[in-house]
Amino acid sequence: MAFFLGFLAYFSYFFVVFLYARKMVHYLKMPLHLRWELYPLGFKEKLKFFMEYFTFSEYFKRKKTYWVFLYPWHIGFMALILFHFLCCLSCLLGSGEVFFSITTSVAVISFLSGLFGAIGLFIKRLKDSDLRPYTTFKEFFTYLFTLLLFSSGLFVVFLDPFFREYRHFWDGLLNFDFINVSKGLTFHIIIFSLFLIYLPFTRSVHYLTKILGFFLIRWDNKPNRKGGKIEKLMEKELQRRISWSGSQIKEGLSWKENIFSNEDTRFF
Amino acid sequence: MKIHDFFKNNKLLCQIKKKELLNLPFPFENPDEIPEIRSLEEERRKEFEVSLDGVMAVGIYKPKTEEEEREFINRFLSGLKKLLSKDDNWTFLRPLFYSLEYCMKCQLCSSVCPIYIASGRKEIYRPSFRAEILRRIIEKYIKRKRFFLKLGGSNFELTFSGLARLCELSYRCTLCRKCTQVCPLGVDNALIAREIRKLFSQELGIAPKELHELGTMKHLKIGSPTGITPEALRNLVEFIEEDIEERTGKKIKIPIDKEGAEILFIHNAGEFLSFPENIEAFAIIFQIAHVDWTLSSELMGYDAVNYGLWYDDVQFMRIVVKQVEIAKRLKVKKIVLGECGHAHKALLGVADRVLSKELNIPRESSLILIEKILSEGKIRLDPRKNGFPVTLHDPCGIVRGTGIVEVQRRILRRICPNFREMNPCGVENYCCGGGSGFAVIKTANFPDWRSLVAGRMKLKQIIEAFHDVISPDINKYVCAPCSNCKAQIRDLFSFYNVWEKCKIFYGGLAELVVNAMVDLKRPFIEWEWR
Repeated sequence: MAFFLGFLAYFSYFFVVFLYARKMVHYLKMPLHLRWELYPLGFKEKLKFFMEYFTFSEYFKRKKTYWVFLYPWHIGFMALILFHFLCCLSCLLGSGEVFFSITTSVAVISFLSGLFGAIGLFIKRLKDSDLRPYTTFKEFFTYLFTLLLFSSGLFVVFLDPFFREYRHFWDGLLNFDFINVSKGLTFHIIIFSLFLIYLPFTRSVHYLTKILGFFLIRWDNKPNRKGGKIEKLMEKELQRRISWSGSQIKEGLSWKENIFSNEDTRFF
Repeated sequence: MKIHDFFKNNKLLCQIKKKELLNLPFPFENPDEIPEIRSLEEERRKEFEVSLDGVMAVGIYKPKTEEEEREFINRFLSGLKKLLSKDDNWTFLRPLFYSLEYCMKCQLCSSVCPIYIASGRKEIYRPSFRAEILRRIIEKYIKRKRFFLKLGGSNFELTFSGLARLCELSYRCTLCRKCTQVCPLGVDNALIAREIRKLFSQELGIAPKELHELGTMKHLKIGSPTGITPEALRNLVEFIEEDIEERTGKKIKIPIDKEGAEILFIHNAGEFLSFPENIEAFAIIFQIAHVDWTLSSELMGYDAVNYGLWYDDVQFMRIVVKQVEIAKRLKVKKIVLGECGHAHKALLGVADRVLSKELNIPRESSLILIEKILSEGKIRLDPRKNGFPVTLHDPCGIVRGTGIVEVQRRILRRICPNFREMNPCGVENYCCGGGSGFAVIKTANFPDWRSLVAGRMKLKQIIEAFHDVISPDINKYVCAPCSNCKAQIRDLFSFYNVWEKCKIFYGGLAELVVNAMVDLKRPFIEWEWR
């Protein structure tokens, strides 16, 4: 069991990082699109973006009854990441009681907040006529999954308020000396690992891609300068062949041939 | 209504009822005084698929056999694959992919959509509704993820009716992008609407005839969707010169095809026919300010519009390339765009990356040029001549599309002492309801829907901006520096009888500048409804 738990923990971490990275790279490698920026896009907007990033202020402004569950749910995830980071840090550096108290507080905030958010969002999505038709079975499943994750974490807090066992598990993990843990913690670790494996199949990466979405699309007004990088990239894109079948398009020719041809009236 | 019901049967999905629409303020609060959306004739209903909301913008013929229906569905799916491919859609793949993948369906977008709100919150008009339909089609037919759909009881089969509704539905969004602006994730439901339009146009050859046959095709063949040919343009310019002399006593020769001029000025050609006073106003301003400018009479050089922006990337690019090639031939230093919102967005922004090397000619907004002229003190102005109440309508293509927001306000504050803002305004404005081609689509009962639903929020804003002077005893002016917005406001005002009830007029910005000129003895703005 010790080996299985250790292996599962490592696998899940690598899996989620690998697939998240792959999604980001896939997104970054997409062709340079035509300009589609949305104004305003000054410094003030960028500042507002980062405020929104951590406070979800737009939801607060426009839909408070949703924000009241959405924000705690996300706080649950953020605190969960911080909790794991602190666990890892305490094993690497060794720390005193104050550090352990902070770690425990972060965990309790994560589990309580996440649990509240998961229950709230599940009910909100089920009952709110604006949201219900758009919520898929998979999304309900995700809320239930997170409900299980956070409640199993909370159960671990009851069993071991200062996470001594969890820190030993982390110690073993980092030293490749995997250990057996209690049933309650085993259950939480399995659920957490499975959740990490499940994450890339949800839309969860939006918290990272959002940054790209804003900087590479919404605020991307980089002008095309003569002899510049964009000009070269565009030259390449315009060589791509079109296979659209609309009668106004010459299928099989490149974009450039289609656009720059002076024979256009003969096409139609 | 459940999302998957969209593909079931061909019964009418949504009926617009006047009493359910957004309430309007005095004197338009009584729905009985406002016309209904005309019902389509029985023959049209038999011939075309109109089961979305009983309104027709596109008009897709119903298939006569099952084979035709299958063919339609297969062609749609083939187009969908192309929409998601790098070769066929490199132009917008990244933004499309982002918006399809990362919408959390929180519905914040709905809280600001003027069409959704004005319709009385009809589900089909929700910005996320059409996007969610496309998303589910992709999940099932492209990604082949059917497990969760079946498990959740939301399985569906593609039908002709459903796809034709989806096409029509893409023309119930003005692409104003107000929804995008409030989305905390930057998801662009307007872009998805545009991409659906694109799929139907580029793969199935389906688009409203005013945008395609009478729009981009006519533009490329004849020179302008208005039908103005190079010869007709010269005649119109002569008429405009005569009219300027009659109205102002000034003899002005409008330069045409002047090689080496500093500026090639391109109007929305609709101005020549519908709002010639705007063209006259610019000619007067340029004459007094000694601007070195020219119009072009070459095919496509006299119309700044580009309907391709709204539905077809290939047509869009063909048009911008031809417009800029003319500037290159005329050896001008820059292109300046007249008062046309979508032309601003097209030529100043979206087209930028297509215009490389020798076609990379500087392009500028006429609003910026006007401000420059005024700030140089080249024109003597008396703001008291514009003493009537004035409000500003912000064309989406100008404010959200190019970020020009303060320039027009600075001009108005300078020349209109009774200027007041609408609420909201600037980058947070509401669309006039004529955006993305709506203003030119005259098919069947679509203009009724456009006035009753799409433009309703704008009408409410205008009336509220003038609430303290709403009496017909006081002339009022809505400044709309965009030809399409003006056309929409004209139709909207006619539909609701606004001129008779409130004496609210509309026009461009250049007209207000000329109206304030000290040199002119007679007012330039004629308070006469047309």
